[in-house]
Amino acid sequence: MTVPLQRTPDDDVAMSLRGLVKRFDTKVAVAGVDLDVPAGSFYGVLGPNGAGKTTTLSMAVGLLRPDAGQATILGYDVWADPAAAKARLGVLPDGTRLFDRLNGAELLAYNGLLRGMAPDVIDQRARELLDVLELGVDNRTLVVDYSAGMKKKIGLACALLHGPRLLVLDEPFEAVDPVSAALIRDILQRYVTGGGTVVFSSHVMEVVEKLCSHVAILADGRIRVGGTLAEVRGDRSLEDVFVQVVGGRTSTGSELAWL
Amino acid sequence: MAVTTAPAVSPATFVRLKLRILGNGLRGSTGRVVLFAVGILFGVSGAVGGFLLLAVPGLLDDRRVAEIMLPLAGALLLFGWLFLPLIFFGVDESLDPARFALLPLSRRTLITGLFAAATTGIPAITTLLATGGMVWSAGLLGGPVAAVVQLVGVVLGLLLCVAVSRAVTSAFSTALRSRRARDLATILLTVTAALLGPLQLGVLAGAERADWDRVAQVATVIGWTPLGAAYSLGTDVAAGRAWTVPIKLVIVLASIVGLLAWWSSTVERAMLGAASGGQRTAKASGSRSAVARLMVRGLPQNRFGALVSREMRYWWRETRRRASLITLGVVGVFLPVSMSINGGGGGFTVLFVGALGAISLANQFGFEGNAYAANVVAGVPGRTEIQSRAAAFSLFVVPLLIMVATVVSLAAGHPEDIAARLGTLLAAYGIGLGVVLPVSVRAAYALPSTSNPFAMSSGGGPAKGLLAMGVLLGAIVGTLPMLLAGYLIGDVWQWLGLPVGLIYGGLAYVVGSRLAGNLLDRRMPELLSAVTQR
Repeated sequence: MTVPLQRTPDDDVAMSLRGLVKRFDTKVAVAGVDLDVPAGSFYGVLGPNGAGKTTTLSMAVGLLRPDAGQATILGYDVWADPAAAKARLGVLPDGTRLFDRLNGAELLAYNGLLRGMAPDVIDQRARELLDVLELGVDNRTLVVDYSAGMKKKIGLACALLHGPRLLVLDEPFEAVDPVSAALIRDILQRYVTGGGTVVFSSHVMEVVEKLCSHVAILADGRIRVGGTLAEVRGDRSLEDVFVQVVGGRTSTGSELAWL
Repeated sequence: MAVTTAPAVSPATFVRLKLRILGNGLRGSTGRVVLFAVGILFGVSGAVGGFLLLAVPGLLDDRRVAEIMLPLAGALLLFGWLFLPLIFFGVDESLDPARFALLPLSRRTLITGLFAAATTGIPAITTLLATGGMVWSAGLLGGPVAAVVQLVGVVLGLLLCVAVSRAVTSAFSTALRSRRARDLATILLTVTAALLGPLQLGVLAGAERADWDRVAQVATVIGWTPLGAAYSLGTDVAAGRAWTVPIKLVIVLASIVGLLAWWSSTVERAMLGAASGGQRTAKASGSRSAVARLMVRGLPQNRFGALVSREMRYWWRETRRRASLITLGVVGVFLPVSMSINGGGGGFTVLFVGALGAISLANQFGFEGNAYAANVVAGVPGRTEIQSRAAAFSLFVVPLLIMVATVVSLAAGHPEDIAARLGTLLAAYGIGLGVVLPVSVRAAYALPSTSNPFAMSSGGGPAKGLLAMGVLLGAIVGTLPMLLAGYLIGDVWQWLGLPVGLIYGGLAYVVGSRLAGNLLDRRMPELLSAVTQR
C-alpha cells in the first residue's frame, strides 16, 4: 500500500490558503491571504464591504484564478488537481445567478447528475432537501421567480446535495428573512456536528458570534485577525473588535446637518 | 426636508449619460478599445461608400437617376434599421428604460431623452454621413435651396430610422415576454418577412427587364410613403415640385410621432413589467421524480444528458434564446423561399441559412451569465460542455434545416434536390459550428440582464457582434466548394451531396469542438469572469 503524497489527513486542515493575491486592473483586491481552516470547524470570515471576502473565497474554490498563491481543499490543490478538490466541495457563490430557468427539483437533479450521482440517490435526496427547506417538493415555479430567501435556500440545497466534506458559503444570510435564516443555521449546525466543515463570509456580527467556532477578520485584502472565537474576541464583544480592527469612522455630529 | 423643484431634464443629459457609459465601458480594456475601433472603421467605410454612391446622381447631373435612386435607397435603409437589429445586432440598450422607472421624469421627457441617446451612436452617425451624399446630389441638381431641403429630409429620415428600430424591437420584446403572446409575435414577424417577397419581386422584375419607367413609378410611389418621403424632398425641389415638400414633411413627421407614441406605450409596459416581475402560476404536478422532471425524454441519465436537457430547456424558456430561435426559424424558411420564387439563386441563400444557424451560438456562454459558475464548481470537462451545448442546439436546428431543404426544393420545383440541398445546409452548419465554438469561448461577453431580448450592452458587445459576421462569412466561404461541386458534377451530386456534406460538416465540427473544448479547459475562470456583468 502506498500513501498518496499530496494528501494530508482529513482531521487536520480542511481548507488552507497560502499567499493568495488578486489584482483587478490597478486595484489590489486581495493582497496575500493566508488562512487555515481546521476540519470540523465552523469558520466565519468577517469583513466590511469591498474587503475582498468574495474574491478570496472565489479563488479558494476555483472560480477565480489567483495572480499568486495556493489554495488547498482537504489536501488537494484546487488549481493543480481541480477535479479531486471540487468533488469534495460544496459552494454557494454570492451574487451568482443559478440556472434559474429550471424549477427547484430540476435544478437539484441537474447538479446531482453533473457530479455523477446515481439518479435514484438524487431523487431521494432532492425530495428530502426540498421538503426540509420548505421549498415544496412539487413546486413547479421557476427559480427565477423565487424570493431572495428561497433562492439562497435552493442554492444551499445544490451545495449540500452531493454530501461534500467542506461547504464554502458566500453571504448565506444576506437578504434572508429571520425564519429562513434560523432554518439555514439549524441545517449548517447539524452538518458541522456530523463532521463537516463550513466556511462562510458575512458582515452580520450576531450570526457569526452565535454560530462560529473560528473567526477571521478581513480588511483591505488582508487577514487582520484570525483564530478561535474566544481568541479573537477576548473579553470584548466581537463588534468592538471588528470596528477597532477595521478602523471605522465615528460620527462627530457636524456633517449631514441638513438631515 | 425641502423638496426643490428640479429644472427640466434636457435630452442632452441622456446623451451625456450614454457617452459616459460608453466611455467607462472602454476604459482599461485594450481588447474592447480595439473592437470599438474596428466598429468605427466599419462605420467610416460604410459612411464614405454610401456618401459616394448617393452622390453619383448629382455628379452625373441626371435628375431621373436621382428620383429613382434616392427614395429606393431611403426605403432600403429603413428596412435595414428595422431588420438588422432583430436578426443580428440587437439594439444598444445601455440606457435601459426600466432603470429610469423610479426617477421623477415625465414620459415625454423620458422618451425624447432616450430617443436622443439612441441617435447617438456609430450606426446613426454612419447613416447620417452616408445619406449626406443625397444632400450633395440635391445641391448639384437643384442648387442651395434643394440642398437645404434635402438636408432637412436626411435628418428627418435618420430620426425615422431610429424611431422604427426602437419601436419595433421594444414592441416585439414586450410581446415575447408573455408565453401567450409569443405565438402572436412569431406570426407578426412572419408576415413582415413575407411582405419582403412582393417588394423584392417588384424591384427585381424592374431591374431585370431594365424597364426604368416601371422602376421610376415604384420609386415615385415609395416617395409618397413614409419609406422614402424624407429622402425625395430635395429632388422634388430640383424638379420644380416644391409644393410636395410640406405634404411630405407632414407624412414623415406624423410617422415619427406615431412611432414614438407606440414606443412610449410599450416602454411604459416594459417598465411596469420589470417592477412587478413575471407572473407564473405555481401548479402542483403529479409527483414525478426530480431527475425525470429535468431530463428530456430519450436522453441518457448522466452528466451529458443533464447538460443537454438543461440547454434544451433554456433555448425555450429564456427570452433571449427563444427570440433568436424564432428569428432563425422565420428567416430560415422565408429568405430562401422568397429568393427561389423570385428565381434568384436558392443555393447561396441556403448556405447563408446554414451558417446563420451556427452563429446563434457566438455568445452562447453570455446567455446565462455567471450561472455558468455551477458547471465550473462541478468541474465539467471542456469538451463535454461544448459538445452538450452543440448537441442541444442541433436538436432544434437540424429538423429546421431538413424543413428548409424540403420546402426550398419543393418551392423551386426540384424535389429531387432535397438530399443534396440538405447536404449543403449541414456542411454550412457544421463549418459554422467549427468556427463559432472556439470564438464562443474566446470572445464571450456579458449581456445586460434586461428583459429585452434584443438588448446589447454598449462598448465591447456590438463590436463583438461584428465577430459573428466574420464567422458567418468564414462559414459561407468554407462551404462554397460544396456549391461548386454541385454545379460541376451534375446529376451524380443528387446522390453524393448528402454524404459528402455530412462528412465535410462533421469533420469541421469535430475539429472546432475539440479546439474549443481544450481552450475551455484552460480558460474556465476567465470565461466565467468575461460573462459576469459588473
